Amino acid sequence: MKFRAKIADAACLNHFTRVSCMVAKLARTCTLRIRPHTLNFILADSAAGGGVSMWCELPQENFFSEFQMEGVSEENNEIYVELTAENLSRALKTAQNARALKVKLTNKHFPCLTVSIELVSVSSSSRMVTHDIPVKVIPRKLWKNLQEPAVPDSDVSIYMPVLKTMKSVVEKMKNISNQLIIEANLNGDLNLKIESELVSVTTHFKDLGNPPSASENESEDRSPEQMAEVQVDIRKFLQFLAGQQVNPTRGICNVVSHKMVHFDLLHEDVSLQYFIPAMS
Amino acid sequence: MTRPLCSQPMRKGVRGRPLYGEATSGEGVEVEREGGVLEASEGVGSTVPVLGTQPVRAAAMLKCGMSGSQVKVFGKAIQALSRVSDELWLDPSEKGLALRSVNSCRSAYGCVLFSPVFFQHYHWSTSVEVNGTKSNLNCKLGMKSILPIFRCLNSLERNVEMCKIFTRSDKSKVVIQLFCRHGIKKTHNVCFQESQPLQVLFEKNTCSNILMIQPRVLAEAIVLFTSSQEEVTLAVTPLEVCIKSSTEESMDLNSSVYSEMFVGPHEFEFFQIGVDTEITFCCKELKGMLIFSEATHAPITMHFDFPGKPLALSIDHMLLEANFILATLADEPSRASSPQSLCLSQKRKRSDLAVSNSKVGKKDNKAMESISRKVAPRNLYADEILSNISTLENSGSPIMKRVNSDTEEEPGSSSLRKVKEKH
Repeated sequence: MKFRAKIADAACLNHFTRVSCMVAKLARTCTLRIRPHTLNFILADSAAGGGVSMWCELPQENFFSEFQMEGVSEENNEIYVELTAENLSRALKTAQNARALKVKLTNKHFPCLTVSIELVSVSSSSRMVTHDIPVKVIPRKLWKNLQEPAVPDSDVSIYMPVLKTMKSVVEKMKNISNQLIIEANLNGDLNLKIESELVSVTTHFKDLGNPPSASENESEDRSPEQMAEVQVDIRKFLQFLAGQQVNPTRGICNVVSHKMVHFDLLHEDVSLQYFIPAMS
Repeated sequence: MTRPLCSQPMRKGVRGRPLYGEATSGEGVEVEREGGVLEASEGVGSTVPVLGTQPVRAAAMLKCGMSGSQVKVFGKAIQALSRVSDELWLDPSEKGLALRSVNSCRSAYGCVLFSPVFFQHYHWSTSVEVNGTKSNLNCKLGMKSILPIFRCLNSLERNVEMCKIFTRSDKSKVVIQLFCRHGIKKTHNVCFQESQPLQVLFEKNTCSNILMIQPRVLAEAIVLFTSSQEEVTLAVTPLEVCIKSSTEESMDLNSSVYSEMFVGPHEFEFFQIGVDTEITFCCKELKGMLIFSEATHAPITMHFDFPGKPLALSIDHMLLEANFILATLADEPSRASSPQSLCLSQKRKRSDLAVSNSKVGKKDNKAMESISRKVAPRNLYADEILSNISTLENSGSPIMKRVNSDTEEEPGSSSLRKVKEKH
């Protein structure tokens, strides 16, 4: 198993650092999957995580000037490692003024993802910084749990409003109750509702627009006004919103009535999918 | 229980005042008296036999004033020292006003000495007793009381026109007055405990390795290390300097990230490496020093030798002098892996020393006579001291000394500790 890659461009480095920071906000431990053309950050759903799952994909050519990998075997030319996401984001953040950054899989006392940074100091001399991030190699038998999730057949698909606005609204709602109802219809309306004994608060987002639906049948059966709703844990939704520092290039929210909500974001060339199950 | 010096009944101190400042908590209060034997007693308002204390002819006093920009530097010093410990000594002398701090496990010591010309005005005096003996203002403040006064230093710098500090040993408070714009005057009365400051004996200039560097470079290095990593290792050779996470023998899968940064000799303003070495010390106090150095814009000098011998970080400026002395992990077979266990071993060794304290005390008396300057931590190691307390040195703790005491109470804190333990 081998992996070594290099980032030589400052803009690519910043973008990669931002992606890694976003992942760190969404998951404590996650899986990094390395393939010849893509890198994935994966959080599989689990009871411990409350059923939340995440799938983030980046095309490696847009980031790395050099990229070599050799998977577990020829038929299975992939590498799956588990790491603490924050370790990677912290290490990348120290590379602010880096001339070059190299990442490789090493085995010192145990497997590590080694990040080597060549920093440029004011006196224009180089300073070498190395971070050894401990990782755990995931055996092949567990790979099936870490595959790309299927896009669910949603009842309603709608474009998302500005995330910052949603976040400020939901943050205040958190104080009222833990259960947030997300409902949307094919008329471009999205509502966020929260209820307690004394008060109920609804925020209405209108004219958001709906992406063209995949299947014709769906849109025929459903009246545009009809809302599809799902009740989720507000803290999980907030955690998702907190991870988004910038507004995505495109953001779609898919609601499967009473089952789950699926967020599909595109940050330039990085795609992020986030699934929150309905509260039981 | 405390050991009374003689059989006189308990009485209040001179002039009907309690001998201590109002203790703000129930912790023990220390008193250094003639004869140099430490006693401690617990509880607020309790009194101790003040035998041998003569009526005081004049009280020790400190009175100084500074402008807004000076207050900022002063406040930064306090903030830096707050990283070392929760207590701060105000120690005025002819050299200026020294702020001292020692952490509870005696593995870190900080001192910032402001020269008299730093202040707009600076007056101090010792207390003079009827029999002629002099003693300094022994003033110990809680960081919790004084730190909030020097918060928001940027706004202090803008708003404060003059800051005056005044205290006397027969009052129980330090009065800090901030004269601000628009005629606003803020007065803070901070209670102090009477306590002789601790000071460290460490001859920086005999260290084989001396590095002087701009604080910015060190700050960039420290940023690499997460707060969960307490200790940092500095490895030097004549060719390069490496700052890295300190590793234990067996790192396991759940360990944190290992980071290292190499800095070339040309990045230092002064680079002298006499001995290839790797020393490990606590990051926290270094961060405190960095905060302060950014305020003074002066480079930091590091003096160190082999593992176990303390590391001195200092700033030498026209108007002030700062020294932070940190214990380093010793290279022993039973090597302590954290500063915490380092302290325990110090405690054990200290209590051993305390048993033979009376013998040690006498020898140290003679040693102290040969030491000329008392205040600056640049006092020479007298050979006698070295041999008596070599065990302490091996465990990596800086050597502590009570300022202005006739007898050398070397592990003075240890006899205090022993007494406290008995309670």
